[in-house]
Amino acid sequence: MDNPDLTTGAVRDAISEPAGPGQLALRVVGITKSFPGVLANDRVSLDIRQGEIHGLLGENGAGKTTLMNIVYGLYQPDGGRIEIKGQQTSIRSPQHAVELGIGMAHQHFMLVPDMTVAENVALAPSELPGLSNLPKVGRRLGELSRQFGLGVEPNKVIDDLTLGARQRVEILKMLYRGAELLILDEPTAALTPAEWEELSAFLRSLAAQGKAVIFITHKLDELFGVADRCTVLRDGAVVGTVSVAETDKPTLARMMVGRDVTLRVERPRLEPGSPVLEVSELTVIEDGRRVLDEISFTLREREVLGVAGVGGNGQNELVETLIGLRTATSGEIKIDGEHVGRLNPQTFTERGGAVIPEDRHRQSLALDLSLLDNLMMKEFGAPSFSRRGVIDFSKARQHCERLVSQFEIRAPGVDLRMGQLSGGNQQKAVLARELSRKPRLVIAAQPTRGLDVGAMEFVYQQLNEAKEAGDAILLISIELDEILSLSDHIAVIVDGRFPRILAAEDADSETIGLLMAGEEA
Amino acid sequence: MIGNLHARLARISLEFGLSVAVAVAALAIGFIFIAASGASFGEAAEAFVEGGFGTRRNFAGTLSKMVPLVLVALGWIVVFRASRFHVGFQGQILIGGLLVAIVALEVSLPTVVHLPLAILAGVVGGVLWAGIVAWLWAARGVNEILSTLLLNLVAIQVISWVVRGPLQQPETPLPQTSPLQESSRWPDLLVDTSLKLDLLLIPFVVIAIGLLLARTVFGFRVRLVGDNSNAARFAGVSPERTGVYAILLSGALAGLAGSSLLLAGDTPGMTDGFDGGYGFQGIAVALLARNSPWGVIPAALLFATLRQAGGVMEATVGVSSAVVDVTQGIVIVLVLAATSILYFRARATEAPRAPIGRTEQAEAT
Repeated sequence: MDNPDLTTGAVRDAISEPAGPGQLALRVVGITKSFPGVLANDRVSLDIRQGEIHGLLGENGAGKTTLMNIVYGLYQPDGGRIEIKGQQTSIRSPQHAVELGIGMAHQHFMLVPDMTVAENVALAPSELPGLSNLPKVGRRLGELSRQFGLGVEPNKVIDDLTLGARQRVEILKMLYRGAELLILDEPTAALTPAEWEELSAFLRSLAAQGKAVIFITHKLDELFGVADRCTVLRDGAVVGTVSVAETDKPTLARMMVGRDVTLRVERPRLEPGSPVLEVSELTVIEDGRRVLDEISFTLREREVLGVAGVGGNGQNELVETLIGLRTATSGEIKIDGEHVGRLNPQTFTERGGAVIPEDRHRQSLALDLSLLDNLMMKEFGAPSFSRRGVIDFSKARQHCERLVSQFEIRAPGVDLRMGQLSGGNQQKAVLARELSRKPRLVIAAQPTRGLDVGAMEFVYQQLNEAKEAGDAILLISIELDEILSLSDHIAVIVDGRFPRILAAEDADSETIGLLMAGEEA
Repeated sequence: MIGNLHARLARISLEFGLSVAVAVAALAIGFIFIAASGASFGEAAEAFVEGGFGTRRNFAGTLSKMVPLVLVALGWIVVFRASRFHVGFQGQILIGGLLVAIVALEVSLPTVVHLPLAILAGVVGGVLWAGIVAWLWAARGVNEILSTLLLNLVAIQVISWVVRGPLQQPETPLPQTSPLQESSRWPDLLVDTSLKLDLLLIPFVVIAIGLLLARTVFGFRVRLVGDNSNAARFAGVSPERTGVYAILLSGALAGLAGSSLLLAGDTPGMTDGFDGGYGFQGIAVALLARNSPWGVIPAALLFATLRQAGGVMEATVGVSSAVVDVTQGIVIVLVLAATSILYFRARATEAPRAPIGRTEQAEAT
């Protein structure tokens, strides 16, 4: 199985040997932590050397973040002990962790957007009150920035920075507070490949100067770019710690998931049927900008059209126009050969449309409502689940319990608050809601975004099964691998246009890459 | 399932316990103020119990004060669930009341028709006044808190003018209307007290709103839109339409409260400021009830007692009724504090959500 990654080239070679491998920056022995109904960490032991980049790998819900929150003093463990540089310590609070030289960058940026870099750094509890020595903070930041090659100007406002630069500001904050052990929780979630390159080079320079870095991720590719060693967690327990140089992706994937994982799926090759979705010269003009520009394509039964492209090239607008949330300026949409006039999401659903929006939290789910509510979101109004506006909850419950087992949603019950499910299970719930209605047309936008390999595999299987059942599928993704392995035809979206639509046989990553960059291939 | 039920019961009893603790603490602090103002603690306490429940008449007064509190609190809960936090109950009570007064003064009909018609006029007035808010929000994007605060002021001025102008009782200098016709008023529930049959609105409307929110498609849409309007849109539920209906429904409930204030009230006619601050106190009731339609009844009982007993205390022991206002203020502050305690507790004990990538991108840009 080859590395299908296109962006990281020879970065592996650039890893330096860890400096001063003698002392341990952090030692975790037998840490156990349980939450009501969940054993989040089960006797976890882990050594982090000084000067190493240590990957912490595991599926969503494997206990990575819980473990690091314990190390950072946010949670108290139920059992086990922690040693910092050989000293047994109990870490009482994040402030205490900072005093001990531990820094943590959370998944979501903890920055005030309309303050400058220096001001954000000066917001540390140790600096407050009194922001009077901002110039001093700025000078010190400048020094740090030079020392580690950060390339962040202290006087810039956060809002004006790229996401990559913001990530570096988070790291700068930790360094400023004297962190020797840096914990990064999925730092790449929001980064482009180029930004990730910069970040990984920077992390290596930190390690070279003796800092220890713990890097939480569920993406295998990233790990190979940067980490020295890696510990795999599964169901809260350590599966093993390996040297990254001596392992490969399938091995790690197996460790994570506990079985063999097909990272590349095969698409079923089927004879396409009659056209389901016909789009001709679809154009959307907003604020004088052509966000969609004369897009035309035909999508048939048992066919997958993949739409590749760098994010922000009109993917979101395309989805919203097709399901009727935006109005087309000109052009035509036909579903099953019939012109659709003014679509709205409800009529789209009634015509057999299903949509898996790209942003689970903002577009697909209501996290404070129950799993049942979320599964039934589009069904409550249907005659089989309500009469004269009154919901038949016992029927709904039966239906949802069926979906939970059919789509392998791991949840103790359908009354669980949606937000308590892991990302993979949330996405399974979305798939269950959309695919169980036996749609004709499935629009799937970034269906595996933020998912671990096990859940990804599940999504691919479900999409393939829908295809075999006769659905027409529009797959929109920025993950090129996904597009290449699932699609029968591939379009590239650039500036709201489809410059070409290729048959899967004629498409390879190079051609698509050129098209994505806006060059005619 | 069993564990789940157990967790739910634990949560409900925690919430209920907190609300009771808040009420007790607020009362205790209120009595500290009483003691500080120099009155005898024992006498004040006695007057308080006497004033709230001691006599048939006082108890009837307490119960009758619950009606508008419950109705406004339910109105708040409806819009709260939809995340449309309007505070226009005062204005809706006033304008609803205005239409009630017109029907009650200007039309002559037998009670069976007159009373329902007058109530309906109140509901219509509340809906109309709320309709302005709903329209401004849905069509023009005007924040509903701002528009309702301003419309409250407008309504106050309208009533103030009406009772001094077109509807003023002839040949009196007082800012009030002529007595409303007897045929339009609620019949007595308990003779010789202020308790009227409108008390029966409480169980009826509480059950209706409770079931509406929990068991119907509309109730689900309200909750969905309130939690994530964007996801609602993707699911084909219009946040605008749902929000408008929620605002109108809350206006109807406020208008109904306005009708009770007049048609079951102590004064014969409509006076300046007949809303009596119920429009805001109802929100406090909903807060203490932790926004549960069923919890509104005990919460309203507490506030109604404070209102009723406070007046009696002032009259008999000479304790300023400002103490009652202080106590109410303390309830609100403590409720908010308790809410954040619950919130943090829930966050600390809940299993952490597994990380989901990339959502911060949309937020960060």
